[in-house]
Amino acid sequence: MDTQNSLDGIRLENLTVNFDEKFTLCNIDWTIEPSQHWVITGTNGSGKSALAAILAGVGEITSGKIEGVPNNIGLVSFEAQAELIANELKKDDADIMDVISLGTPVHEMIFTDCLEPELATELVEKFGLTSLMDRAFRKLSTGETRKVMLIRALSNKPDLLLLDEPFDGLDADTLAMLQAHLASIIETTPMIMVLNRFDEMPDFITHIAYMDKQGDSAGQLKYTVNRQDDVAYNELYQLLHLKTTDLDVPEMDESEKPPALDPSQPLVKLTDINIKYSDTVIVDKLNWTIEPGKHWQLSGPNGCGKTGILSLITGDHPQCYVNDIFVFGFQRGNGESIWQIKQYIGYVSTSLQWEYRVSTSCRNVIISGFFDSIGMYSRPSDKQKKIADEWLALLGMTDRADQPFNKLSYGDQRLLLIARAMVKHPPLLILDEPCLGLDDMNRQLVLALIEKICAGSETTVLYVNHHAEDKIKGIENYLAMTKNNE
Amino acid sequence: MANYFNTLPLREQLEQLGKCRFMDSSEFADGVEALKGKKMVVIGCGAQGLNQGLNLRDSGLDVSYALREAAIAEKRQSWKNATENGFVVGTYEDLIPTADVVLNLTPDKQHTPVVKAVMPLMKEGACLSYSHGFNIVEEGMQIREDLTVIMVAPKCPGSEVRAEYVRGFGVPTLIAVHEDNDPKGEGLALAKAYAVGTGGHKAGVLMSSFIAEVKSDLMGEQTILCGMLQTGSILCFDKMVEEGIDAGYASKLIQYGWETVTEALKYGGVTNMLDRLSNPAKIKAFDLSEELKVIMRPLYNKHQDDIINGTFSRVMMEDWANDDKNLLGWRAETAETNFEKTPAGDVEISEQEFFDNGILMVAMVKAGVELAFETMTAAGIIAESAYYESLHETPLIANTIARKKLYEMNATISDTAEYGCYLYNHACLPLLGDFMKDIKTDVIGKGLDLEDAGVDNARLIEVNEALRSHPVEAIGGVLRGHMADMKKIV
Ligand SMILES: NC(=O)c1ccc[n+]([C@@H]2O[C@H](COP(=O)([O-])OP(=O)(O)OC[C@H]3O[C@@H](n4cnc5c(N)ncnc54)[C@H](OP(=O)(O)O)[C@@H]3O)[C@@H](O)[C@H]2O)c1
Ligand SMILES: [Mg+2]
Repeated sequence: MDTQNSLDGIRLENLTVNFDEKFTLCNIDWTIEPSQHWVITGTNGSGKSALAAILAGVGEITSGKIEGVPNNIGLVSFEAQAELIANELKKDDADIMDVISLGTPVHEMIFTDCLEPELATELVEKFGLTSLMDRAFRKLSTGETRKVMLIRALSNKPDLLLLDEPFDGLDADTLAMLQAHLASIIETTPMIMVLNRFDEMPDFITHIAYMDKQGDSAGQLKYTVNRQDDVAYNELYQLLHLKTTDLDVPEMDESEKPPALDPSQPLVKLTDINIKYSDTVIVDKLNWTIEPGKHWQLSGPNGCGKTGILSLITGDHPQCYVNDIFVFGFQRGNGESIWQIKQYIGYVSTSLQWEYRVSTSCRNVIISGFFDSIGMYSRPSDKQKKIADEWLALLGMTDRADQPFNKLSYGDQRLLLIARAMVKHPPLLILDEPCLGLDDMNRQLVLALIEKICAGSETTVLYVNHHAEDKIKGIENYLAMTKNNE
Repeated sequence: MANYFNTLPLREQLEQLGKCRFMDSSEFADGVEALKGKKMVVIGCGAQGLNQGLNLRDSGLDVSYALREAAIAEKRQSWKNATENGFVVGTYEDLIPTADVVLNLTPDKQHTPVVKAVMPLMKEGACLSYSHGFNIVEEGMQIREDLTVIMVAPKCPGSEVRAEYVRGFGVPTLIAVHEDNDPKGEGLALAKAYAVGTGGHKAGVLMSSFIAEVKSDLMGEQTILCGMLQTGSILCFDKMVEEGIDAGYASKLIQYGWETVTEALKYGGVTNMLDRLSNPAKIKAFDLSEELKVIMRPLYNKHQDDIINGTFSRVMMEDWANDDKNLLGWRAETAETNFEKTPAGDVEISEQEFFDNGILMVAMVKAGVELAFETMTAAGIIAESAYYESLHETPLIANTIARKKLYEMNATISDTAEYGCYLYNHACLPLLGDFMKDIKTDVIGKGLDLEDAGVDNARLIEVNEALRSHPVEAIGGVLRGHMADMKKIV
C-alpha cells in the first residue's frame, strides 16, 4: 500500500478487497478530499466497518488501487478493541509460570508513546477515567476500554481519525463531550466515522457514504452524498430508515372494511380476454387467475397490453364490459359499480402519479386511499388521519405531513402513492412499473417498501415491470406477455 | 312550435326563473337505486353522450347507444366512441322501444327532429331526459303525455364530466323536472339517481327548472365563458404583437394565461385572482375592469334580453335554417385570427408571470364574471345558478383553450354555446376598439414597471373592500365549501 501524507486526499479506484475470504468489498470508487469529514452508513452486513478497515490496512487487495492513506491513523473500532484485548490476554499467557500478571495498567496504555500527553490527561478527566489509571486494562468494562481507545486515538496527533461506531454505549454526557471535542478539531483532523444511525451524525460531517449488501458475503459502496445536497440527503435518510428499522405495516381501519371476500374463490379470474383498438388486437385470448396469497410478477415489452390487462381488473378499461372478468366476487357487467371493485384494490402507476396533480397535503394523499379518490372529497375520520400519520412515519416523512404533495420529489411522491394504495390493506395491490422514472436510490426505496409489504401483510401483490429479471423477493409466479403480433 | 317561455304569464315566468335550490347530500341517500336494472339508451355519442354514458355504466347502470343510421353505416366518430368503449350500439328502432330512459344528448339545434323521430318509438311511461332545456323552453317541444321529462345538466364540458368522476368526484349539476310531463311523479327520483350515476351529487346539485337552466346557461356560455375569453384572446394577442412583443411569447401568454389566472378563481373567487397581483397591479386591474364593465354592460344586457325574450334562439335557428351561414363564416374567421395561427413559443413562463404580465386578462375575467353574474341575477335568476354559469365554469372553459386554443374551445362546447360565443365576439371586438387604443404592454405582455410602485393606502383598502363585497363572492364562498378539494393544473 502506498502511504503518504493526506494532503492530496485519499483515492480508492475500482478497489476490490477480500477479508479472510469470508467477505468481499467490490469495485469501490471513493475519493476523500482533505477538508471533508465522512460518515459511512448502510444496511447491516453491507461492509461499513470493512470499508473503514481498508483504510487502516486491513484486508487483501485483489484488484484496483488505493492511494494517499496517511501513516498516522487514529483508529477506534470494535475489531481494534477486540484485538487490543486479545493482545493483552496473550501477554498474560506469555508470562511465565506462576506469576500472576495484572496486565498493562491503563495509564501505560494511554501515555506510552503518547504525542500529546496534556490532551490525554485532559481527556482522561473528561471521560471520568482518573480513578482507573492504575487498573489493568483488561479488567476494564467494554465501555471503559472503548474510552481508553478513544483517548489514545485522539491524543496522538492523527492525520486521519477512523471512528467505527464511536458513540455506541456512551452515556449522554460523555457523548456530548466527545461530540464537542471532535467538533473542536475538525480544522486539523479529517474524520471518517461509521454510524448506523443518521441522527447521531455530527453537524460537521460533510459527506456520507452509503454501503449496500451484494448477496450474503459482499458489499459495495452504493452512493456518496454531499450533505449540502438536501434532496439526496433526504432520500438517503429515508432509505436507511426503511432498510434498517424493523417496521410494521400500520393497521387498517376496521370500521371501513368492505364486505369480506370468499377465501375459496380467486381474487381475479380472466377468461379468453381480448383487447383491441380499432382493428388492432392488443391482447388475444388471455386466461389468468390470481388466487389469494399468490404474488405475481407480470412482465413484457412496452405495448404488449400489460397496463390494459391491469385496467381491465381495476375497472378503468372500458372493454372490461365486453370481456369475461370475475373480480372480488363480481362477474363484471352485472350492475356493480367500479367503486365496489376498487375498494378491494390498491393501485400505483406512473400514470396515476401523473394524474395525481392535486395541490393537497401529503397526509391527504395517503388518506385518499381510503376513498379510492384522487384528491380528497370527504372528511376523513380521526382514525384515518392517525393511520395516515403512521404511514408517514414508516416512510420517514413525518415532517412533511402538511406539505403539498406536488412539491415533493418524484420519488417521494411514488412512495406516498404506495402508502396510499396500501392504507386500506387491499386484498390486491397492483404495482404497475413502480420504479419507472426513478433514480437508483429511489428504486431501492420503493423496492424495500414492496418487500416489506410482500412479507408482512395479507395483501396479494401484482408487480408489473418490463424487465422480467427485475425480481422481488417473495414473488413466485410469473406471467410474461409478448406483443400480440410477434 | 311556440317559444314555451313566452307562452307563460309573467308571474309564472318569474317563478320559474327564480327556481333554484342547493340540494343537501342526504337527498341522494338512495344512490342510483331508482335507475337500477332500467335500460338507459343514449342518443348521440359526442361530448356529453359518451362521457355521461361511461360514468353511468361505471356506476352499475345499463347503458347503450342509439345512433342515427348514417352514423352507424359510415362508422362515424360517434359510432367509434361507443363501440370502442364496449357499448352496445343500435338504431333507434333497435333500442328505443326497449328503453326505460332515453337520454337525448344530440346537439340542441337537432333536438326537434330527433325527438320527433324517437318519441313514437318510446314505450308507454318511459322517461326522456335532456342535458339542456333548449328544446323544451325555446322551441316549445310538446312531449307525449305519458312520458316523464327530466333534465340532468352537468355544468361542465363533457371531458370534465368524465375526468372528475374517475378521480372519485363529480361536477356540479343542475337537475329539473318538466312539470307538464311528470305523469307518475317519478321525475325527481329519476333525475337524482341519474345525477348520482354521473357523480354530480358529490360536487353539488341544484334543483332548478328547465327555464332557469336555459336562460342562465345560454347567458353564461355566450358572454363570460366563451365570448369574453375569445374576444380577450384576440384583442390581447394583437395588441402585444402591435407593441413589438414576440408573437410566440404573446401566443403562449394567452393560451395558457386564461387557465392559470382563472385557476385562482376556483380557490378564492375574483378576490383571490386579484390578490395574486402586486398591489399596484391589483389597483390597475381593478380600474381597467371598472372601465370595461361600463363599456360592456349594455352588451351583457342585450344578450340577456335576447335570451329572455327568445330573440337569441330564433336568430340562431334561422341561421341554421339558412345552412349555418353566419356560424360557418364566424368559425372560419376565428380559424384565421393571428392568435389562432401563431403557435405558442418555446418560452418558459412561470405561474406568477402569467398574472404579472396579464393584468388586462385578469381585468377582463373579473369584468366578465361580475357583469354576467349581475345581469343574470337582475333578470331574476338565483345567485347559485348565476354563480355556476359564470365564475364556476370559467376555469373549465379556460382549460380547453390551453389544450388547443379557440378551436378546441369551440369544438367542445355545445352548438348553442358556439353560436352565442361568435355573436358576442362579433359585437364585443368593435365595442372595445377605443378602449384598446390606450392599452400598453404594462398591462399586457410586460407587466408594470415597479420602479415607482407607490400605492395609496386608502385606495388599496377601497379596492380590496369592493372586491370582497361583490355578491358573487358571497355565494361563491358558500358553494366552494361544497367542493372540498380542487385540482391543480399548471
Ligand atoms: N358540450 C357541453 O359543454 C355541454 C354541457 C352541458 C350540456 N350540454 C348539452 O348536451 C347536449 C349534447 O351536446 P354535446 O355538446 O355533447 O353535443 P356533440 O358533442 O355535438 O355531440 C352530439 C352527438 O349527437 C349526434 N348527432 C348530431 N346530430 C344528430 C341528429 N340529427 N340525429 C341523431 N344524432 C345526431 C352526433 O353524432 P353523429 O353526427 O355521428 O350522428 C354526436 O355524437 C346538448 O343538449 C347540450 O346543450 C353540453
Ligand atoms: Mg351549455
